[in-house]
Amino acid sequence: MLIHLPIAQIAVDPLILVTIGMLVGFLSGMFGVGGGFLLTPLLIFYGIPPAVAVSTQANQVLATSIAGVSSHWRDRLVDTKLGMLMLAGGLAGSSIGVGIFTLLKVFGLIDTTVTVLYIVFLTVIGGLMAWESVGALRGSGGDPGRRTRLRAWTRVLPMKRRFPRSGLYISIIPPIAIGFFVGMLAAILGIGGGFILAPAMVYLLGVPTRVMIGTSLFQIIFLTAYVTFLQAAFNGTVDLILAGVLMIGGVIGARYGAMAGRRLKAAQLRLLLAVLVLGIAGRLIYELYVEPTPEYRLEQAQ
Amino acid sequence: MIARTLLAASALLLAGGALTQSGLAQSRAPADRPFMPAGLAQDNIEVTVNFTGSSVVLFANTPQPENETSGLAVALIGPVSTQKMIRRTASGEEVIEFISAPSVFAVGSEPQLATSVLPETLASVGLDPGASAQPRADQLISPDLPAWRAAFVELKREEGLYVLNAADITRFDGGLHRATIALPFNAPPGEYRVRAVAFRNGVPVGETNQALVLARGGLDATLFDLSRQHGLVYGFVAVLLGALVGGIGAWFGRK
Repeated sequence: MLIHLPIAQIAVDPLILVTIGMLVGFLSGMFGVGGGFLLTPLLIFYGIPPAVAVSTQANQVLATSIAGVSSHWRDRLVDTKLGMLMLAGGLAGSSIGVGIFTLLKVFGLIDTTVTVLYIVFLTVIGGLMAWESVGALRGSGGDPGRRTRLRAWTRVLPMKRRFPRSGLYISIIPPIAIGFFVGMLAAILGIGGGFILAPAMVYLLGVPTRVMIGTSLFQIIFLTAYVTFLQAAFNGTVDLILAGVLMIGGVIGARYGAMAGRRLKAAQLRLLLAVLVLGIAGRLIYELYVEPTPEYRLEQAQ
Repeated sequence: MIARTLLAASALLLAGGALTQSGLAQSRAPADRPFMPAGLAQDNIEVTVNFTGSSVVLFANTPQPENETSGLAVALIGPVSTQKMIRRTASGEEVIEFISAPSVFAVGSEPQLATSVLPETLASVGLDPGASAQPRADQLISPDLPAWRAAFVELKREEGLYVLNAADITRFDGGLHRATIALPFNAPPGEYRVRAVAFRNGVPVGETNQALVLARGGLDATLFDLSRQHGLVYGFVAVLLGALVGGIGAWFGRK
């Protein structure tokens, strides 16, 4: 059975889309990432036009994040105070990021910059997480200790506040700064930023892994709602039929992902996330240096 | 034999009916290429959410008398849009803009034309996909134009929008032909034309152009129109849909 997508203007098999949504939703619920960095290439690979894939994934991630965050919310594993601070920084950062994106585009540097930034961040973050989590699994298997020098900055800065859900007493500047930086990168890279935000929360702020997942999803809800609205209202590139089909799979997957996540040790979760992040980096390196790029390509003229 | 005659007669009636009922004018053939009586079985196809491709049926009566080289070639062409093509080179990228290029070009002909009609002749009567994309005036003299066009056709073929041998043509008594052309599932809505040219001894002896509209309908049309005409409302609907499905998912999760 096939269905026709009104915005993408192609016919697709809804069962394949439900499966894709389920897979990405599972990872989202498990790791607290939106999954856009995985969903977008999968949709493009399936034949959805890139502009529609990029916009519609945000709508799907919105639904899966709401479904995913609910169980963490019930378990009191969402730090809304911290999430709001990072969101504020993120919205400001993405506004600056859009400006930088435009500048890079004007100078014709956007493709190279995006790819190199992606590879650098994915490799560094994935590598560090894998290194740390393997070490932790040899020990207690819990969260990284709260003593690291990486987090000394959060204690010395002014405007300290308590974040009871995360068990932190830190300055509000680091969460805003991290949100800002991630928001800026997210705007340049065209992603939600969950895969950068999640490790940053754990390693730089000291948020416990389980609280990080719920809090990251909480922030992603607002960010993806904002992006969905902008893309749908001003670009008209969100395909509601495609989004609806993806959401059905996504919310089911997110539930099972959250359940699977609870059965794993924190360090195991971080190791799996590291493998996922390194896998994406490997794919990008392959695309950039190994896979031949086509000589000709078509673009719909504006 | 009786059945074939009845079929042919009813097809001609249908063709005649389509011709008279259709408000879409047929283009006049050049004086040396007489008008060929023809009609579409359906000149308006609706694209709904369950649209998975369709077929276009043309009935045409080719000029008489016929010989072993006589035959019919048909093409489904449209909608025309501007398309930019980029070529990667050692020093960077080159761009060509086709200001008028059909999104879909599905062409087919009777087998005997493969040996009796020259490719140049097909191109001259507008049945060559390779010659259909028109560049900007300043790029018309580019020596690389044939290469650009060939690459354009190849990319479109990969998308399934340019199809060779796309027509199934059946010949009945008295020069009546029925051509069934496959309409790709990813064909964009818009204005198309079905072009048919009759050949004899490798020369065009009759032609016709029939207008076909591929229009959105039902939910497909509602969503598309909403996204284009009421962007803010569409944006709110998209966010609401995400929140609603996510909420339902969360509610089911608690069960």
